Amino acid sequence: MTPGRIPEDWALPALSPHNEAWYTSGQLALQRCSGCGSTQHPPEEVCRACGGDRFEYVPVRPAGTVHSYTVAHYPVHPALAGSVPYAVVLVSLDDAPETRVVGNMPGTPLEEIRIGLPVAAVWEERKAEDGTLLLMPHWTIRRDA
Amino acid sequence: MHGAAVVVGVGESVYYKRGGAPDSEFRLACTAVRNAVEDAGLAMGDVDGFVSYMDRNEPVRLSAALGAGDLNFTAQTFGGGGNGAGAAVTIADAAVSAGYAGCVVVYRALAQGQFGRYGQAGRPRRSQGAAAFTAPYGLLSPAQICAMQTMRYMHDHGVTQEALAEVVLAAYAHAQHNPRAVRHGRPLTREEYHSSRWIAEPFHLYDCCPENDGAAAIVVTTPERARDLRKPPVAIVAGAHGLDRGDGRGAFNEPGFPTAYYRHVGRQLWARAARHGITVDDVRVAQFYENFTGPVLIAMAEMGFCAPEELDGFVADGNIQWPDGRLPINTSGGNLGEGYIHGFGNVVEAVRQVRGESTCQVAGAEVCLSVSGPGFAPGSAVLFGRPEVVGAA
Repeated sequence: MTPGRIPEDWALPALSPHNEAWYTSGQLALQRCSGCGSTQHPPEEVCRACGGDRFEYVPVRPAGTVHSYTVAHYPVHPALAGSVPYAVVLVSLDDAPETRVVGNMPGTPLEEIRIGLPVAAVWEERKAEDGTLLLMPHWTIRRDA
Repeated sequence: MHGAAVVVGVGESVYYKRGGAPDSEFRLACTAVRNAVEDAGLAMGDVDGFVSYMDRNEPVRLSAALGAGDLNFTAQTFGGGGNGAGAAVTIADAAVSAGYAGCVVVYRALAQGQFGRYGQAGRPRRSQGAAAFTAPYGLLSPAQICAMQTMRYMHDHGVTQEALAEVVLAAYAHAQHNPRAVRHGRPLTREEYHSSRWIAEPFHLYDCCPENDGAAAIVVTTPERARDLRKPPVAIVAGAHGLDRGDGRGAFNEPGFPTAYYRHVGRQLWARAARHGITVDDVRVAQFYENFTGPVLIAMAEMGFCAPEELDGFVADGNIQWPDGRLPINTSGGNLGEGYIHGFGNVVEAVRQVRGESTCQVAGAEVCLSVSGPGFAPGSAVLFGRPEVVGAA
């Protein structure tokens, strides 16, 4: 394991109809209500605006800004002992600033991570123990911003 | 809104370092309940209700083991953890005020030596629900979640690491006066705070509550019943429990982020206290549940003690330390210094302040506020006071 990187088999998401697009499409696909058109994140089983229960999943640009972060130094599970210190960032999406997404920045030195940092999403492939292929969004510094 | 109920007894077990208790969690619970009932001058057979939050020790087993009376009422709050302490007290108040029970024990027992540690995480095979958007990235523990909230709050409002340190130093200073405190006889300096290792930035080791074993309880009954008991009753002046609309969305997508989930509780509580002519300015001593220092500061501002931008000044220069501070907080040593019993020690201490029994007694304290766990929804808080402040002397 490498400091800054979470183990590849750590707590991978169990796919559901509501997060499958997010974790398999290679896009930041937000849950949008087919009835009223409002988006919500994290996804929920019903639309909080109109009560609808039919959704589509629409991609937004893979760009955002670090809204907050923490650097974890204490491994809360022995399997994370080789990963600390690692940063967890909370990214506000450029296309949906009220939507905030949690992620890691495995390739970025910890000292460069700060609130306000422009970032872009990149995807890494993970294979769950049942063979499911996942595309996990991670974040990197956006140099063109 | 206060009901008619009053607190007539408080009690606790010995508080231990995690793993240090010679007794099981259930026996610790029994000890705390017995001590609270004895403190009230009641008999165990008088107890007909039990209320808690996130507790493993079922009222059915407790009431049988303790020889309590007929069981008329049991309840436990929903929600994320120690944020339910105040809510549990208001539920007991509601039960007694409505006449569903005559004598309700509110309790919390926690043995992190016997059961799992709060500072560690299990390994989810696969993450589900809102956690599927956080856990895969190694965001798991309460410290890490509150660190994310606190980091943004400090950035937005100019809160410094020194303000976090003040919360720790107040707790440790107060613990030195309290022989029950786990950290009694073990003071902490500002230098030791700053040089302690990081847990999750911006939290050092000492920003985080310890893991302890112990139990605490209070007894709630009617003012009529309280008249011939051992100690003067303490009124439940006002309570509040809940959160702002939408603030339960999870994964940091609350409209109010960063919040400790106390804006709503603050508005509700002070509106209810205003019926008795009491405002936040009347509070001279308060207990703030410390899971981590950052959320304590956020809750302090959200409960209306100062503006967010004023927090650094509000807590600086010993302003939250007994005896000279303008608002001493966590006067027993709190979760950090006395012991982490999921915040129920803070409730017991608030009652003691109104009784005049604290080891850091604020002279003439007519009311004391107890604010439960911040940073996890929903929040809850209770304002305790002398019966005369609600016109029920």
